[in-house]
This record gives sequence, C-alpha cells and structure tokens, in this order.
Amino acid sequence: MSELLDQARRVAERAQALGAQEAKVSLSRSRGVSVEWRDGAIERLQDHTDQGLSVSLFVDGRFSRHGTSDMRPEAVERFLSDAITMTRYLEADECRSLPAPERYAGRAEVDLDLRDPNYEQVSAEQRRAEVTEVEAIAREALSEELKGKEAEVSSVSSVVGDYFGQSARVHTNGFEGAREGTSFYMTAGVTLKEANGKRPLGSAFTYRRHRSDLRSVEEIAREAVRDVTEKLNAQKLASGRYTVLVKSDTVGRLLSYLLAPLSGGALQQKRSLFEDKLNTKIVSELLTLRDNPHRPRGFSSALWDGDGFATAPRPIIEKGVLKTFLIGDYHAKKMSLESGSPVWATGASLHNMEIELGELSFDGLVREAGDGVMIDRFLGGNSNPSTGELSLGCGGRLIKNGQLTDAVTEFNLSGRFDELWSQLVMVGGDPYPEGQPTPSCLFEGVQLSGV
Amino acid sequence: MSEAHQEGLQYFSQFGVDERLLREAIACALERGGSWADLFFEHGTSQSISLQDGAVNAASSGVSLGVGVRVVSGVQTGYAYSEDLSREAVLNAARSAALIAEGAPQAQAPLGFNATPHASRYPIEQPWMSVGVEQKIPLLQRLNSEAFDADPRIKKVTVGMSHSDSVIWLVESNGATHFDRQPMTRLSMQLSAEQGEGPNKRRESNAANYAARGGFELVTDERLTALREKAVRRTLFLFDAEIAPLAGEYPVVLGAGASAILLHEAIGHGMEADFNRKDISIYSERVNKRIAPKGVTIIDDGTREGDRGAINFDDEGVDSQRTVLVEDGILRSYMHDRISATHYGVAPTGNGRRESFRHAPVPRMRNTYMTAGEHDPEDIIRSVKRGVYAESFTNGQVMIGAGDFTFYIKTGYLIEDGKLTRPIKDTNIIGNGPEVLERTDMVGHDFKFDDGGWVCGKDGQSVPVSLGMPTVRVSSVTIGGVSQGGEQ
Repeated sequence: MSELLDQARRVAERAQALGAQEAKVSLSRSRGVSVEWRDGAIERLQDHTDQGLSVSLFVDGRFSRHGTSDMRPEAVERFLSDAITMTRYLEADECRSLPAPERYAGRAEVDLDLRDPNYEQVSAEQRRAEVTEVEAIAREALSEELKGKEAEVSSVSSVVGDYFGQSARVHTNGFEGAREGTSFYMTAGVTLKEANGKRPLGSAFTYRRHRSDLRSVEEIAREAVRDVTEKLNAQKLASGRYTVLVKSDTVGRLLSYLLAPLSGGALQQKRSLFEDKLNTKIVSELLTLRDNPHRPRGFSSALWDGDGFATAPRPIIEKGVLKTFLIGDYHAKKMSLESGSPVWATGASLHNMEIELGELSFDGLVREAGDGVMIDRFLGGNSNPSTGELSLGCGGRLIKNGQLTDAVTEFNLSGRFDELWSQLVMVGGDPYPEGQPTPSCLFEGVQLSGV
Repeated sequence: MSEAHQEGLQYFSQFGVDERLLREAIACALERGGSWADLFFEHGTSQSISLQDGAVNAASSGVSLGVGVRVVSGVQTGYAYSEDLSREAVLNAARSAALIAEGAPQAQAPLGFNATPHASRYPIEQPWMSVGVEQKIPLLQRLNSEAFDADPRIKKVTVGMSHSDSVIWLVESNGATHFDRQPMTRLSMQLSAEQGEGPNKRRESNAANYAARGGFELVTDERLTALREKAVRRTLFLFDAEIAPLAGEYPVVLGAGASAILLHEAIGHGMEADFNRKDISIYSERVNKRIAPKGVTIIDDGTREGDRGAINFDDEGVDSQRTVLVEDGILRSYMHDRISATHYGVAPTGNGRRESFRHAPVPRMRNTYMTAGEHDPEDIIRSVKRGVYAESFTNGQVMIGAGDFTFYIKTGYLIEDGKLTRPIKDTNIIGNGPEVLERTDMVGHDFKFDDGGWVCGKDGQSVPVSLGMPTVRVSSVTIGGVSQGGEQ
C-alpha cells in the first residue's frame, strides 16, 4: 500500500513538473479469480490482474480527466505530457479546482474491516468443491420440488469467485488516502423447462467482504430452487390499481429513481423535480433513509468520498422530508456562481443505504396486504428525473387472502416515483441480507398494467 | 511471415511483444492439454470533449493496454488477462488459463505465424488523433448556440464528441494471426428545457446521439445539424406529451428505425447460440421451425460498412458475415462463436465478440435488422383503432429463458381511429418475445437503419451494436401506461 501511495505521489509531482498547477492522482491494482460451473463440469475459469492510473488535471484554469493501464514509466510520462497539452486547448472553467484542503479534515478513525486476512488461503479446490456442491444440493432439492409439476430441469449453474483490490489517491493540495479490500461471492442459477417451452430462471447469490460471512452453499442452492419453482406457470395480470408488496431485494431499484434527482449534476442542469424541495415532505413519512459510509465490512464503506471529503453518516430522507441534496465540490461551485450565493458541497457520494425498518416480517407484510401483488423483480423500464414519471416491467406473485398464490408476469408498474413513495403504507423488518439492506415495502393504489 | 502479421508484430513490439513471447505463451497455454488457445492483444485509445454551460471545459482521454489468453477444452474455457505485457506477466496469464484442462499437452505451439486477410469495412479518412482539440471546440460551440437559438425554452445544453481507436491483434495457437484497427466516433447532445412559470412551471430533458465506425470525417455539418434538430424536437415534444393513457394489451405500431430495439431484446438475445447450447433460451430446439408469420425476415449483419456494429472479423478471427436468423418466419440460424459452432456442428457465424481483452468472447449481435415488407406505413397506422405508435426509445431488457422483454418508449403517439393523435412519453412496453413475433402481422416497406449509439450488455460486457427495421404492427402487446381503472 505504501508503495502504491509513493507511486501516486510521484505521478502527481510529475504532473506538476510538466505544467499542471493541481492534480488528483489515483492508482489501483487488483486480482480476481472465478470458477463458473454448469451441469456437471467447469464452464469457465477466469483469473485477472488489473492495474490502472487515473489523473485529473487542472492546468491554467482548465480541466481534464485521463486514465491508462499502460504503466511503463516512459508511457506514463508521455501520457501525462499529452494530457496536459490537450488540456491547455480547452476553455477555462473557474469552478474547476481541487476542493479547499479543510474539506479533507475530520476523517473518521474507524476500522471498516474491508479486507479478509484469510483471503490468500482460498484454494482452487475450495472454489471447485463449492460450485459442485451448489449443483448437487440444487438438483436434490429439485427432485422433490418438481414432483407432480409439468417442468423439467434445463440447467443448473454456479459461480464462486474472490477479489482483492488496493488503491491509493493523492491530491496535490494535501489529500492522501490508501485503502484495500476483498470480496467473495457465490451464485446459483436454475433454469427449468415448462411444457410450453418457456425456461424460467431462478437465481440466488451471496456477496461479502469476508469469506466467513458468506451465506452457506445450501442456503444459496435452495433459494435458487425456490426462486425458479415460484415462477412456474406464470400468468398475466389484469390491469388495474393494486396493493403492491415490493420484495426487499427489489426495493433498491425504486430507491435509485428517488435518489437520482438529488445529485448536484441533475440540480445544476435543471433535470430534477426536487429542486425546491429541501426540508419539505417529498414522500411518505414512513420512509426514513440514511447513508452510513462507516458500516463495517460494507461494500460501499469509505472514509472519504470522490472529492476527498471525510465521510460521515447522514440522513437523506427523514420521515418523508428531504434532508440533503448530494452535491459534490464542482457543482457546488457552479451553483454558487450561477445563483450569486454560496452553495455548500454536501458530498456527492452515497455509500450504504439504510432504511429505518418496520416490525413485520415478509410473511407478515403478505398477510397485511390481504389481496394484491407481490413484485420480486423489475425488468427494464426507466424514469424521468425531471418529472418523476416512471414505467417499469415487473414479475411476481398474486396475494390472495394474505397468502402468496399464482406467479404473474409481463406487467408494468406506472406512475410517478415521488407519488409511489407517497403511497407507501408499511415498511418491513426484513432487510435484504446482501448488498444494501433494504426491507420489503408495501404500497397502496399502484397502477399495474397487464391484460 | 506475411506483411499483415508483420504489421501486428511491429505494432505491439513497442510494448515488448516478440515472436518468442507468442510461442512461449501459447506453449504455456496448451501445456495442460487444452485443445486450442488464442492471445488477444489490444491497445485502445480514446478522447472525448464536452461542452456544458456554454464552454468546452472538460475533456478526457484513455489508454487501455493488455492481453487476454484463452484456452479451450471442449466447451470449457480458461481465461486470464494481464494489463502488464512483460514476459513474466503474459506467461503467468497463460498458465492460469491453461488450468481449465487436465492432462498432457494435446497441441503444440506453432513454428510460424501467418496473417489471415480480412475485408476493410471502416477505412479511416481522417484519424481523430490528427485533429486538434482546438479544431473540435468551435463545432460544439456552434451546436450550443443553435440549440439556444432554436427555442427560448431551452435552458441547458450539453454536447459531447468522443473518438476511440482500438488496435487488436489476435494470435491463434495454429499460427493464424488477425490484425485490425477499429475506430468509433460518437456525438451526443442533451437538453433541459422549461415551460411556464410558478406552480405551472414544467421541466423536461431529452437527448440524441449518433455513432458509427470511422474517424473525424464523420463529423459533418449535416450530421451536427441533424443531431441538434433531433435533440431539440425530442425535448420540446415532451411538453405536449403524457405517459400513455393506456394500461393493458393494445396494438403497437413500431416506427421505422430505432424500434428495432424490439428485435434486439425480444428476439436477438434468445438466438445467441450459447444460451441455446446451454438449453436456457426460449428458442432452444426451434431451428428450422416457424417462429414468426411469413414476411418476417431478420438478419444479423456485421458487414455493413461503417455501421456501429460492423466488424471485419470477430474477436475469434472469424470473418464477419450476413447471418440470416429468421427467413420468411422460419428460424434458420443462431449466432455462433467457435465453441457453440463446434457444439452444433456448423460453421461459426462471426458473432464471437468481447468488450475488450478483459473478457472472453461470447456470441453477440452486430447490426440486427428486419428487412422491408410490403405494407404502406400509413396503412399500418390506419389499421389500428386504438393503440400506440412508438417512435424513440431508451433502454430495453430481456429474460432469455422466459422470453419476457421490455423497452421504454421515450416519445410516441396515441393512435385513435387510425390516426396519430396525442403525443405520449415515458411508457414501458413489456411482452414475450416469441408471442410478439407471432403477432407481427404487418411489415412496412420503409426500412430504416438507426444511427444511434446503441450499446448491448451481456455477461458483464458491453459491445457496440446497431439496428434497424421498417414500420411494423404488433397486434397486441402490454403497454405500461396509466388508466383510470378501479381498485383490484
């Protein structure tokens, strides 16, 4: 790590020597290995080593950004020289400069625990044993699950992999940081063939910073089997307004639409429907959303953000009220210039989203829904961050009398994402165990279009 | 040694690559019994500049250098890559890839190398590196001024121009080598506009882009004007439009050109042979069977000169070709790479593509289109009592096995009594690929190719593609609009 940091310092010094007044330099290197298994044999083994240098240059009031994987010293020298020459031809932008050094202060002294010390002990035999075991368990479970059903197994697949990465960053006005982390993952995929020729896919995965935190092979294999068998004989849905339960692993997609208009870029470029909504209620008071960049072993955990600002936990939405925009240093400077009054850079990065949980389990939410639709996947679709309009393809299951029943597919959810989140009536207590721990959410009066 | 082989060797010798390294790397790759292997060297360079808030004040450039080593044993693949082209790093990558096989060597490293000749489908008249940034800046400034002049409702303009050049050199374990230089030029324009005041103020934003294989010669006055006109029209259109007032199954008329995203999502992916080899596509076991009405012919063609998805040869060294996927409604061929072709006992179709040296090749689309039919586009619209006319699109997605697909209509019209009436926007369409194909009952004679910057994603890899089609009617598909339907 110190070697990487030293290298970044040297590149920053060379950038200044060649004519840049300021520079931001990042260096990274990583290694990843994965084994893909399908139907009794290895499908693909992959092994990679990466290296990369990225440089942001500030030259005579002008700005540019550059990246290369050619790390030969003479190539880096030429790369920097060409980049600086190119930057000089651009038009000046008085908002382009490194952040004020005081914004780097206050870095939390927290051990994020992002590196598994046992990373190097993972063997090829272990990876192979796990992908094999996923298939064995899945096929055993399928032999039970498919009894009496008109479906057969098309394919069972699994991937096991791990990754180790290091990076270092230097700003010429005082910021320095280096970090490293590991990640481990395991996936299972089960494809069935129905009598009508359709081949629904069920899947499950686990993805963690430390190998010992991965969910078990058995859990992943059985979840994939459950996922696919629940999709069998899917029917179309009648169009109408429904009570809709969005499953925990799918809620993140709905949140992303809500968060996109909060960015400094969207605000400054007038592509945000929330421009005048700071400290006003924009969604249901049941939604409280916080960012926790310091969650131990979190995938997006970090002590500093893209500008080098020290990170801290912060509320984004509290009881439906918008508490902050996500404005980086550059857009804050631009908005200050345009408005004639200072705009504070709140930090553009989001790290680990945490929704304030409710009390009910997933089954409890299903009972609470009574009659409606449970959505467990979105397919395609998009939104309009300027207006809030939203239209998404969906699949899931019907809810009748508080019970999950038939699989449904090929329907759309439509409306506005701000209105949808205002129709939130219950938040679950069932955080998704992988990635962002979003809970399942229950909405009322949601427009779904099917047949 | 042929001249073209010398060209590749000469180019990559600047990074320390020599014939000894090639032979040693292939020997390492095959040392555990792999059937065959290849080395994919790539040196990519790119540059982009952008205008925002009236100034061309941001630029970026990139260099991507490395080698991917692939070892194939039956249908199994070992793949490793390195961004370090030193002898030690390349041989380590080769040894890692070799682990896919277990046994004694079956094949040997070649004694010599010979280049395979290929067509030249994207000659570069004016390399982008030969044009200084200072010459490009006025062009972006011109677009910016023209956009603001076009309508006072335009409040923000972003314009981008990017170029890239990827030099690839594929070296096969049988000694065949393939050298190519793949250029790309992309222009983009994004606009934000405001209409009204106070509580009635509305905002909309939209974009347009153009992309093709070629150098700076593609940046013509006509293309810049067309880009600006398209971006302005599509943005201001949204003020009069609403999310479709239809929720449920209705006829959809797909406008000529970009509507071919339907082909790409609903049909194309399912015809990529790896999904069929694994028996996870809804089109598995359907070759030589009817999957669409007569009159529907679908092609995947990598030979159209200069198109964004054109390639001289694929990333396995197979000549690009025009592949008939569906002929008059009958499924004729999947899109193959070498592995799937071997599995099916057919010739590869030149569809083995990869994003870069960081990825192993898999079957991918190139330029996918439906050929022209016999119907007058006006008659197609007149035939619809109540439905939607889809004009421009953003993203699409498909579930390969179930066949469910979606795409998102950014602009279009409601069709009422055979006429285009209310403008619509931001409406998702969802359907099932085979069902929609069967319901394609009118094909227009107005074939149009779309020149947008389409990107196809699969297996974590993105590759440039293009698409086209004539006006088409689908008799019934699910429209994700908003109705006044009651509570369920």
